[in-house]
Amino acid sequence: MDKLLRDKKAIALFVGPGLILFTLVLFVPICQSVYYSLCEYNALTKPEFIGLKNYISLLKDEVMMIALKNSLFFMVFSAISQLLMGLFLAAILMNIEKGRNFFKNVYYLPCVLSSAALGLLWMFIFSPKLGINQFLALFGVEGPLWLMDVNGFINLPMKVIAFVALWQYVGQSMMLYMAQISGIGKDVYEAAYIDGASKFKAFFTITLPLIRPMVATAMSLNCIGSLKFFDLIFNMTEAGPNHQTEVLATHLYTQGFKYFKYGYASAIGVVLLVLCLIVTFIINKFVKVDNYEM
Amino acid sequence: MKKRIISMLLSVAMAATMLVGCGGDSATSGEVASGEVQEITWMFWDDLEATEDLISLGYKDTIERFNKDYEGVYHVTPITTNLEEYYTKLNALVAAGETPDCFIVSPGPNLDVYVEPGITADLTDYLKADGWLDTFNGGEGAFSQQTYDGKIHAVPLNIAAACVFYNTEMFANAGITEMPTDWTGLLDACQKLQDTGYTPLTISAGTAWCLSMLAGYLCDSEGVDLDAIDAGTAHWTDANVASAVNKMVEISKYFQPTAAGDTNDVATANFYNEEAAMLIQGSWAIAQINGANPEFEDKCGVFAFPGTDGRVIAKSDSIAMSAKTKHPEAVIAFMKYFTDDTAQKYTAEVGGKIPVTTVKYDETAAPAQLAYVMEVFGNAKSTFGFYNESLASTEAGSFFDDVMVAIYLGSTTIEEGLQKIEDFYTENVWNK
Amino acid sequence: MGIDMKSNVKSKIVKTIIYIYLSLLAVVYLLPLVWMLFISLKNDKEIFTSPYGFPEKFMWENYTFAWTAGQLGTATLNSVIVCVTTLVFSMLIGAMAAFAIGRMKWKCSDLIMTYFMIGMMVPVHCVLIPLFKTFSKVGMYNNLVGLILPYLTFSLPMTIFILVGFFKSMPGELFEAACIDGANIYTCFFKVALPLSKTGLFVTGLMTFVNNWNELLLAMVFISDDAKKTLPVSLSKFVGPYNTNYTQMFAAIIIAIIPTIIVYCCFSNQIVDGLTAGAVKG
Repeated sequence: MDKLLRDKKAIALFVGPGLILFTLVLFVPICQSVYYSLCEYNALTKPEFIGLKNYISLLKDEVMMIALKNSLFFMVFSAISQLLMGLFLAAILMNIEKGRNFFKNVYYLPCVLSSAALGLLWMFIFSPKLGINQFLALFGVEGPLWLMDVNGFINLPMKVIAFVALWQYVGQSMMLYMAQISGIGKDVYEAAYIDGASKFKAFFTITLPLIRPMVATAMSLNCIGSLKFFDLIFNMTEAGPNHQTEVLATHLYTQGFKYFKYGYASAIGVVLLVLCLIVTFIINKFVKVDNYEM
Repeated sequence: MKKRIISMLLSVAMAATMLVGCGGDSATSGEVASGEVQEITWMFWDDLEATEDLISLGYKDTIERFNKDYEGVYHVTPITTNLEEYYTKLNALVAAGETPDCFIVSPGPNLDVYVEPGITADLTDYLKADGWLDTFNGGEGAFSQQTYDGKIHAVPLNIAAACVFYNTEMFANAGITEMPTDWTGLLDACQKLQDTGYTPLTISAGTAWCLSMLAGYLCDSEGVDLDAIDAGTAHWTDANVASAVNKMVEISKYFQPTAAGDTNDVATANFYNEEAAMLIQGSWAIAQINGANPEFEDKCGVFAFPGTDGRVIAKSDSIAMSAKTKHPEAVIAFMKYFTDDTAQKYTAEVGGKIPVTTVKYDETAAPAQLAYVMEVFGNAKSTFGFYNESLASTEAGSFFDDVMVAIYLGSTTIEEGLQKIEDFYTENVWNK
Repeated sequence: MGIDMKSNVKSKIVKTIIYIYLSLLAVVYLLPLVWMLFISLKNDKEIFTSPYGFPEKFMWENYTFAWTAGQLGTATLNSVIVCVTTLVFSMLIGAMAAFAIGRMKWKCSDLIMTYFMIGMMVPVHCVLIPLFKTFSKVGMYNNLVGLILPYLTFSLPMTIFILVGFFKSMPGELFEAACIDGANIYTCFFKVALPLSKTGLFVTGLMTFVNNWNELLLAMVFISDDAKKTLPVSLSKFVGPYNTNYTQMFAAIIIAIIPTIIVYCCFSNQIVDGLTAGAVKG
């Protein structure tokens, strides 16, 4: 058995295709991008090496600070809300018989739709002239400027976007948890019920510990996904008004592709990459326990 | 044995990927001109099939005419994206050495970035060679925004002017008989309209450049000199800028209540659905207005933005040629199709934009509003560009737009906002 | 008996509450989509005059216009080619790598895993220009393969990430048993590990498919030829320079959604099969 699992040729054959592809299509461009981050480069002229200047101006960039703040808020909110909501839905759906499929499909549906299209849709819904404010007005309630009110440390548009993102992506976490919960043998639960455990208790003593690796997986996915988050924001607010809903990815896009400061944008990309690495490291350190090895 | 089969399967799978790759390669080689036909590409920011924009549809006709007339000699293929990703894609193509043979571009800082590294070709000789230049209205003067060191780098195709569109019925009901010609007149008209129960002005702060167009007019009427600012001899913190922005805040009480969140589409719809009396917009909106509500055409009037001393904001689509094109003759022949009589007549009669040549067009066929716009434009003493396309860079333009929105929303004061633009210029423009 | 009755009533109440909650949530999920359907059937003026009413007259023309003008037929075909190819290869290549990383014993497995994970953290904007420069040099500009390769590569990290979890949580006895039966490592992978990770494969497959189906930026830059454009690029055709054809765009979006829903239904049923059969034992 052990010898089989140490078969060098097989390992090379298994990992090889992925590794080659990954290196050529992703790793090399990333390295190029890291190099550009040290250059003054606008994609139209030759890159010109300027050392760490881009990174120094990043520190002084006010919009970068807003973007950083919003990205971190967005990440923390997504990680926690998706964990709670996703687990909650998964647990409930695994415990009902009738309609499980229907509800699961409905909640997962927005995940399969393009976030660009959904962003447009939600922009419509939150637009003061067309959307829910008109509906609220029927009851004499004056709705706020959902996507334009920029007061507060975390402003209203950011919160609105965070909830829309939860709406769209919670189905994904739910699916992952459901897949993992279904892997837990029925006999484990039956034994617990015979011992007099309630469903509630069984969830905390059996389900939760057993799906902990998946919690780490889903959380890392969420965190990285929300740090890279782009489509929904870009289509709902275009990072406005006045950059107040800017996140790292939108800032990168605006600098790189609207103002053609490609070197500067690459520096933002590197910051983003480093941030992702740190977050993944933290999650793996604190959430993930050693998998039950053989 | 099994082991071998599986490793064989795997290598077959890998080989298949390679094959697919190769198959694809041969497909692209089809791009190379077959026979004698000179293939060129033209890049544009709107899809020619799916669009409702009348100017875009006009370009589609132009391409079809060109391809038909030059069948077997030249052939042009359009590359289209939407405006949002247009420059992203154009730059990627340039960076990869795949620059389209010719492409549409807005004059101003957007064009600067292609002229400076020599991506666009000098067109002066082609224009002067056979009297092409003389067909333009105003001769060389028509190219002021496209000329760099005496060399013309792009050809304008049409001009849109920013005017005030108004609802004649509402104006009559409010008892306004004289169109406002100065700032107090405009405020009076707004007040009268409001007293009659109308929303005087519809505008979009959700789409930043719309609000900034108003700000641009106000700045210009206060004598803000952008060249002086670029040179560093005038400043954003000067009193005239502050007074212009003050005026914007002053008139903002006449905006529709949802102005803060409305996008350009919504603000324009407010106007043609007769929910507001005035709309400040470029003349491209004519097609949109008449398309969405044809009955409204008769009620829609146009006047020049008051108090600007005869200056009008104008914007043109221009076409530039790649300096590296292999078929300059084909590109020039193609460009001429955009400025020939058929295309320019269409621009006026159907598209509702101002032609760049001296062509005679049928005024009765054109949308009613175009005559008014032409009048405004004809009476104009001089023109200036959209503020977001005339500042030192695209980024400076957006920065200005954003600050105007922030001031309107009240999230920053006028002094703070203007100081921010000043700081931006100190760091990015003057110290470079 | 009495206690049983009581707990029965109680569980019924709990059940009702749960169902009410789930239904309300379902409404929150479905209403915006229904609204989108309504908009796609209105005319341009109606969007602004009665944005959330029932369409006055069903404008089916919006759909025919969207289909023909947006060339959605070709676009759908291209999307299917790109996404299916990517899906198949990403599952195969991803599962192989995940198996080697999660199950097999070698020194650098953690290192390689970290290496792959970097891919998940890079926003696609970062590599757009370098990648495009390289691809256009080797003739992959305006070529569907030029889309398949990056899509495949960008899907690999997530596929590997999730599948490694699945492979790791499989009990070792299964493989030992197979080994005793004389199976080699390839049989272990194809006959034991792959079937057991069915649920994982479907989940990752679905994610891969959906992500690629909706990807816009790369497709926008890498493809110029109308005959090779994918669906998201075609949807953006309805956004004009000064105004947007909302009705037709939403009609096009609805058309674009349908294939995803079909694929989703196929996959989700498979996942349910996996669930009920209890194929994966933790």
